Amino acid sequence: MLHLSYLAFRTIVFQHPPVTTIFEIFTVLAFSVTATYFIIELRSHRKETGYFILNIAFFFQLASSLFIKDTPEVPPILRSGLFGAHVSSALLGYAAITIAGAYGLMYLMLYHEMKATRFGIIYKKLPTLETLERMTFTAIKLAFILLGTAILFGIVWLYHVYAGAHYNDPKLIGTVLVWAMYGFLLAARKRFGMKGRQAMILSITGFLVSIFSMTIINIFFSGFHKFY
Amino acid sequence: MNLLCVGISHHTAPLDVRERLWFSADEIRRTLPLLKPLGASESVLFSTCNRTELYVLTENGELKPEVLKNLLIAQKSGAETIQASDLFSLSAGDAARHLFRVAAGIDSMVLGDVQILMQVKEGLNLATEQSTAGFFMNRLFQLAFRVGKRARSESTIGEGAVSVSYAAVELAEKIFDDLKKKTAFVIGAGETAELTATHLRGKEVGRLLITNRTQERAQQLANKVQGTVIPFDHWCDALAESDIVISSVEVPQFILSPDDVKSLSRKQKYSPLFMIDLGVPRNIDPKIKDLENIFLYDLDTLNTMVDENLQHRKAEIPKVDAIIDEVLGELTQWYSSLEVNPTITALTQFMESIRQEELAKNINRFDPKDRELVELVTKRMINKIIHAPIVNLRKGEETSITERLNKMSAIQKLFGLSKSLKDDPHGG
Repeated sequence: MLHLSYLAFRTIVFQHPPVTTIFEIFTVLAFSVTATYFIIELRSHRKETGYFILNIAFFFQLASSLFIKDTPEVPPILRSGLFGAHVSSALLGYAAITIAGAYGLMYLMLYHEMKATRFGIIYKKLPTLETLERMTFTAIKLAFILLGTAILFGIVWLYHVYAGAHYNDPKLIGTVLVWAMYGFLLAARKRFGMKGRQAMILSITGFLVSIFSMTIINIFFSGFHKFY
Repeated sequence: MNLLCVGISHHTAPLDVRERLWFSADEIRRTLPLLKPLGASESVLFSTCNRTELYVLTENGELKPEVLKNLLIAQKSGAETIQASDLFSLSAGDAARHLFRVAAGIDSMVLGDVQILMQVKEGLNLATEQSTAGFFMNRLFQLAFRVGKRARSESTIGEGAVSVSYAAVELAEKIFDDLKKKTAFVIGAGETAELTATHLRGKEVGRLLITNRTQERAQQLANKVQGTVIPFDHWCDALAESDIVISSVEVPQFILSPDDVKSLSRKQKYSPLFMIDLGVPRNIDPKIKDLENIFLYDLDTLNTMVDENLQHRKAEIPKVDAIIDEVLGELTQWYSSLEVNPTITALTQFMESIRQEELAKNINRFDPKDRELVELVTKRMINKIIHAPIVNLRKGEETSITERLNKMSAIQKLFGLSKSLKDDPHGG
C-alpha cells in the first residue's frame, strides 16, 4: 500500500505516470509482481511460494534503486494518460509473465526432484505439483489479458501521436509473439487438456522471450520502441 | 507427597504381554476408584497400543510401586502370566520426565508419534470424570500437553512419513492438490496395500477401487475402507479412471508395461498418474518411470524415504529434550511452592511488608514516645490476622494432599503470592 501511495504521489507531483525512466519502470515492475502475486495468493490460498516471488520483486526494486537519478525532462508525448495505461498494463502483464515463469520453474524443479526420488528442501518447501500448475495458469491468464490490453492501448496511442508510424517495432513483435504463445497455451489447455511438464516449459519460454524482448532489444535499439 | 508411575511399554515387554494389560475406558473407570483406599490422593491411568501407564500422587511414602503393579495385573482377568517384572516403575522427577517424553512422542515406538498426545488427554479426561485427577495431576498433565505441543511446533520431530504406507500417501499429497477429487486403485490386498488404502481413506480420497484374485478378500478390504470391488478380470478397465495406482500382487512378470501406461496416459489427457509398486517381485515395469507425468515408486524408494525421515526425527531428539528440561524446571519450581512452609513464609513476609510500608508513611504522625507502642500493636494485629490461615494450612499437613493443595492455591491466589514463591520457592 505504501508503494502504491508512493507511485500515485509521484504521478501527481511530476505530472506523468511513473513509467518514463528505467528507475520508474523497475519500481513499477516490483510493485506489479507483488500486486499480481497478491491476487494469485488470494485465489489459491497458498502461501508457500511467497518467499520465492517476493525475492523477484526485491530484485526489481534493487535494480530500480541502482538506476535512481534526478527526474529528467520527460517528452510531452509520454505524459499522455493513454500512454500511462499502455505502459501500466504492459508492466503488470510482464509481472504476471515473470510470476508464471517462476511458478513454471518451481514446478519443473519439484517435478524433477520427485522423478529422481530426491526428497530435499524443494520437495519439503514447495506446494503440490497441481497447485503450482494452477498458479502458473492463473498468472498466464492474467498475463494474456494484461498484455492484450497493453497492445491495444499502445496501438491506439501510437495512431494518435504518430499518424504515419509503422508497426514493425521489435518489441511490439516480441510482445505480440509472447501474447500469441500464451493464447495458444490457454487454448491448448482448454481444448486438449495440455498440462504438466510441457505446459510449464512453454510458460518458462514465454518468460525468456519477454526478457529478451524487454532487455536485449533495448541494448541494441535506442528508446523503448522504434516506430520512426 | 510423592509422584509414582508404573506401567508397561514396548521397551519393557513384548506385544503379547502388553496386549493382556491393555485397559479399555470402562476398565479404567473401574480401576481408578480402587487406588484411593491404597493411599493414592490423585491418579491417572491411560492405555494405548504400545503402553499402559498409571500415575499416582501418594499421601506418604508408604504406597509402594509393587502394590500398584499388582493392582493393575489383578484387574485383568487372564493376566496371570504377566509378571510384576514386566512393568517398570518411576518416581518423582523421573516419573514426570517420563510423562513429558511420552507426550512429546520420543518414547513412542514410532518416534514423534502424534496420536499419543490425544490418548494421554483421554486418560486425564477419564480421571477427571472419576474425580481422581485433582489440582496436582491437572497441573502435571497440562505441562505434559504443553511439552507435546511445543515439541511439534518447535522441532520437526513429527515431520516426514515413517512407515512405507504413509510415505506412499505423503508422496500422493505432493502431487495432487485435493485427494477428495481423486480415484485410487488398489491391485492386490496385501498388508501394506491395505494400510496404504486405510491411510488414503483417512485422507478422504474420492474413490477407492479394490481388486484381488480372491474376490472375498477384496470385499473384506472394501468393507473396511469403504471401497468398491472391481472383478479381477476387469482390473484394466478401472485403470483408466485412476489417478493413484497401488499394486501388490504376486506375479511372475510385470502386469503393466510402458506401452500400457502410454496409452493409459493418452486416454487421461496426460494428467499426472501416481503409481506405487509394493510387489516383490515388482509388478510394474520400472521403465515407466521415464514417461512424462508418470510418478512411479517401488518399495526400495519408499523404504529409503522412511529411513531418511527416521534419521531426521532422531536428530531432533536433543531439541525436544531441551524443551522437556525447561518445562521440568517449571514443574519443579511449582512443586516446591506447594510445600506449606514457603507459602506461610511468603504470606508472613507479604503482611510484614504492608505493615512496614504503612509505618514508614505514618510513623511521624505519632508522638516519639508512642512509636514503640504503635510498632508493637501493628505487629500483634498482623500476627492475629494471619494466625488462623497458618493454623489451617498446618492442619492441612495432617489431612489429604488435595485439600492442602486447594487451600494453598487459594491463599496464593488471593494474596498474589505466586511471584514471591517463584522468586524464592523455599521462602528464603
